[in-house]
Parts: sequence; C-alpha cells; structure tokens
Amino acid sequence: MNKDLDIYVLIKQVPDTRSKAGVNPDGTIDRAKAGKMLNPFDAFALQAGLNAKKMGGPNSRLFAVTMGPPPAIDILYQTLEHGADATCILSDRRLAASDTLATAYALCRTLEYLFKKNGRKADLIFCGLQTTDGDTAQVGPEISERLDFTQVTYCEDFSISDNLLHAKKIIEGGTQLVSAELPALVTIANSYTKLKFKSLRGAQFVQDVKRASKEEQAKYVEIIDLDKCEADEMRCGLNGSPTIVSKTWKIGVVGGNCKMHQGKAASELVSEVFKDAVMLKEFVKI
Amino acid sequence: MAGEVLVVAEQVNSQVANVTLELLGEGKKLARKLGSPLSCFVIGHNMEAAVDAVIRAGAEKVYLADHPELAEYKTLHYRRVILDELSSWATPPHTLLMGSTTTGRDLAPRVAAFFETGLTADTIELDIGPYEHTSGIDQTKIGYFPECLYASRPSFGESLKARILGPWKDPQMATIRPGVFAKPEMLTEKPEGVEIKKVAINFQPSDYRITIKETLRELEGKIDITAADVIVAGGYGLGSADGVNLLKDLAACFENSVVGASRKIVDLGWMTYPYQVGQTGKTVRPKIYIACGISGALQHRVGMQKSELIIAINRDPDAPIFSFADQGIVGDVYHVIPEMIKQLQEKNTSKLAELKVK
Repeated sequence: MNKDLDIYVLIKQVPDTRSKAGVNPDGTIDRAKAGKMLNPFDAFALQAGLNAKKMGGPNSRLFAVTMGPPPAIDILYQTLEHGADATCILSDRRLAASDTLATAYALCRTLEYLFKKNGRKADLIFCGLQTTDGDTAQVGPEISERLDFTQVTYCEDFSISDNLLHAKKIIEGGTQLVSAELPALVTIANSYTKLKFKSLRGAQFVQDVKRASKEEQAKYVEIIDLDKCEADEMRCGLNGSPTIVSKTWKIGVVGGNCKMHQGKAASELVSEVFKDAVMLKEFVKI
Repeated sequence: MAGEVLVVAEQVNSQVANVTLELLGEGKKLARKLGSPLSCFVIGHNMEAAVDAVIRAGAEKVYLADHPELAEYKTLHYRRVILDELSSWATPPHTLLMGSTTTGRDLAPRVAAFFETGLTADTIELDIGPYEHTSGIDQTKIGYFPECLYASRPSFGESLKARILGPWKDPQMATIRPGVFAKPEMLTEKPEGVEIKKVAINFQPSDYRITIKETLRELEGKIDITAADVIVAGGYGLGSADGVNLLKDLAACFENSVVGASRKIVDLGWMTYPYQVGQTGKTVRPKIYIACGISGALQHRVGMQKSELIIAINRDPDAPIFSFADQGIVGDVYHVIPEMIKQLQEKNTSKLAELKVK
C-alpha cells in the first residue's frame, strides 16, 4: 500500500475554439465573445490526478488549482464533478498580461499557500502538456524549477510505488521509461487515458455545493487574491513579466496564386485539379 | 558589448541534432548584428565528433560538458551543468537558443525560471533590433534598448504574428522548432583557433532523483512524416475522428505517403502527436501536400508552406489555406476525397493497361 498522497492538478480555462462564436472573419479570436472551456490538455491531467489518487493511500487528496478571472470557477466545479476534493482559484486584476514566468510565480505562491493550509507539501503536481491558447508548455517546468520538484514532461502513462513515480514519456524519436522521486511535477501528454465521464454522484454533489452557503462553498471552491497568498505584485502581471509583445502583424494573403476550382460537381472539380497538378501522376501507386 | 549568442546543442547517441545546426546558422546572423561571438554548449558523452560538427556549422566558441552521466538527456543533470556554468560568467549570454523539441521544452523553462528571464516558445523568426519602453507602473523598465532579441511567433487566433521581446534581463531566450531555419553550409575543414572550454561538472545528490530505466527509440521510426513524398493531412473540417479513415484511404493511393494532422484534431485526440504538422508539430516539405478541411491558420502554415505542391480542399472559399495553396477545391471533403480516390484508381487501371500494351 502506498502512502497517502496529496495531489494537485493545475488547470486553465481557455477560449472555446470548437465553435465559430468569437472567431473573427480574419481568424483571430475575440476572447470576450468566445465561449470558454477547460484546456483540452488539462482534461488528461485531471484524469491522471484521479488515477494517482487511487494509487495512493486511503486518505489521499486531489486538489485542482487555477488562475484567471472569476468565470474560470466553472472549470473548478468540473473537477469537483469528476472527484476532486477541493479547489482554489487565484483571481486578481493585477495578474493581467502575465507571461509564463509571472504565471509560474503566481501559481507557486498559490501552491505554497495551499501546502501550508493543507498541512503539507504536494507529492504530485499534474499539468496538461500545454494550453491551446498559449502553446508554450513552459509553466509546468517553470513551477518545478521554483519548487525544486523532479519533473517528467510528455508523460503518457505512470504508476507509483514507495516514493517513486514510474513514468513512460515521449522523447525525440521514441519513448522512455523513467523513475522520478516524489515530489514530482508531471505534464501529461494527450496520448494518456481520456477523461472519464463524471459520475452522477459528482454532479449531484456540485449541485449541492452551488446551493450551499458562501462559507460552505468556500470549503470546496476557495477564491484567493495576491494578498492572501502573499505574492509580490511587482512579480506578477505585466510588472513581473520579463517579456512583452511589442508588435503584432496581420498575416496577409501570400502569393494569392491559388487556382480555385468551385461550383461544379465533385467529379469535375477533381478531374480539373488532376489535370492541372501533373506532378501527382509521378506518385500514384501502381 | 553585448554578451554571446549561445546555442545549447541537442544530441542523441553523441550525434548533434539537426535543429542545433539550424540554430547555429541562424544564431550566426544574430551574433554578427550584435558584434558578439556565436558559441555552442555541447553536453553529452564522447562528444568529439559533435564538437567538430558544431564548429563546422559556425560555432566560434564551444563549452563542453562531457561525462558518462550525460550520455542521455536527463533534466536535472543537464540543468546542473548549464546553470553552474552560466552562473559563473561575469556577463550572461545575450541570447540563448534551444530547439523546441521534447528535450528543449523540458529544459529551457527550467533555465529561464532559474535566471528569472523571458523565454519565447516555438519561435518562427529571430532578429536583433531596438525597442523603446515608454510607460508602465514599473519605472525601472523604462528606457531605450538598442539591441533586443526579437522572437516572433504566431499568437493565439493564429492569423496574427506577434513579436516578443524582453531586453531587461539576459539571457534573452527562445526555443525554435526543428526545420524552421535552414541548415547552414558546413565547412569541410575545421577552422583554427576555436576555443573549447571544458566546463566544471559538479553533480549534486539531488540531481540523481530522476533515473532512466529504458529508452526506446526505434518506435517513432515508423512514424516519420517528414520523410514522405505525399502527405494527406486533415483538419477540423473532417468533422469527426472517422474522417481520418478517409485520409488514410487517399494516402494509400500514393507511393511513400503518410497522413498528417492539424493541431486542432490532435488536441481533440482524433490523431496522435507524431502526425501533427505546424508550429508545435513537424515542419514538412513533401512533394505533394493535400490539406483536407484545414483552415490554414498561420500555426499550420509555417509547418508546411514549403511543400512543392499544395492542394487544398475546404468548404469555405474564404479559408486562409486558399491564400497559399496551389490548387484549391471548394467543397465537402466527404464528396471530394472519395471522388479523388475513384479517379486515382481509374488512373491506375489505365496506367496498368499502358504497361500491358508495352
């Protein structure tokens, strides 16, 4: 039997790019108009956290943590439906325009606040490999550096024994089996097990929490700001970000020499293209 | 004077990765603009040939950490040698570049967090230029910076390109996907007088917290989409994971062909990461690229625009893909692809008939 584990899953709410809402004609996203969803990679991380909890002792705990504006509480409720024990959101206007380093700092302050509150440090932190709105894959490793945790990125599968995480991870040109001492930070690849459906009991539980008093709600969804987690505001948001976006460009039409085929039956369109694209012939399998 | 332009080399089995050579080629241009040397940090074991290669690719100074423990990439060991060495410098590197590979994406953020410096991920363009910071709560940031690292990447929404910079702290860091920059011409002879500095290696007990049990590299050999002549790639326009079968059927009509995927459908789990084309996936240059239901956002474009012939199928006549494809079909992939397969098979029959006549 493994020891009891304290497990944290770091998640983010991102614009919902599955629908057309909020997508401008030029392809850019209007963040205000776009719907919101749990970062798809984080769903894998949540499943990893749920699985890890089962691998730990009977008093293992799973916490979900996010940073963002108040509507991001929605994704915390989602984790409660799936079986998280408690959640926390760091929400503060001073966090606006944080780059990855500033984000990692603020999340570390939040984690350290929670470690103190929960009586001990995390054994495991799970993150999605990357977000769909930033794509950097940096925040996880930046947090493990700050917390001096071991780290496994691109994790596809894992087990836990004694004080070790045994993981299968993607590397350049293959895979690798590694063992990392706990505490460890793990970023989960999307080849990991898909998030299972929430249980009816989980959904009912969240309904109850949503109807409960503010005090009762705060037990499951705690909302904190920079002061509460003793974060230095000069290290957060725009102030704390070592990078800025200095310029943006629209990517215009290049070339514009595309020969268009349209308004006819598929068979005609295809034979037109095959007539034009002479090169194709060379590669057709005989 | 500005600090060095430092490329952290990547290696597998003591062989330098192509992305490192590509970064040295691009790094040289930055170094000349800064008037700084181009240096390369080589980490591994039995690295003589690797050192030779990076010098022939343009490195003017080499930092070498050669140790049996470093034969295979390990987060904490590699981190240790880089942080120890760079912490001992009076002037940090001006620019620090790494490949945006599974290795670089594991290591670069740890280095950036340690030095509390900026890191731009999956950069598609690098340059050196000025920046003036005129306002902000933090007064210490205000000033004119003549020599910043410009790292540009597609930003969210993806038809925007953003220039990211951070001149307040060196090293200014960026990761770059393999294949984004061209490999430089390699010198046939190693130039004289390139300094090779052996760096001090002082592993700490805590560096041994991660151990490698087994490395399996032949696996992905089967899935190397960069070597294909024909790529049939699918995007969100496929509608569902079932659409992937359609791609496979079309690809099966061609020699040396493979299927590819946009990031969106990889995110959705319809296809897996080794098939992903684009900024955060593979950069490919096949002879023929057939884009099926791919809108053609910049993120995807940077990974395939150098294909010789691009054929795009999309229902939306205004899809960005048509702005850089060679042949465009406005239509439903579920009508067009089966028709393509049908006509290719007919071609096949006529080709066979031709052969029989001969």
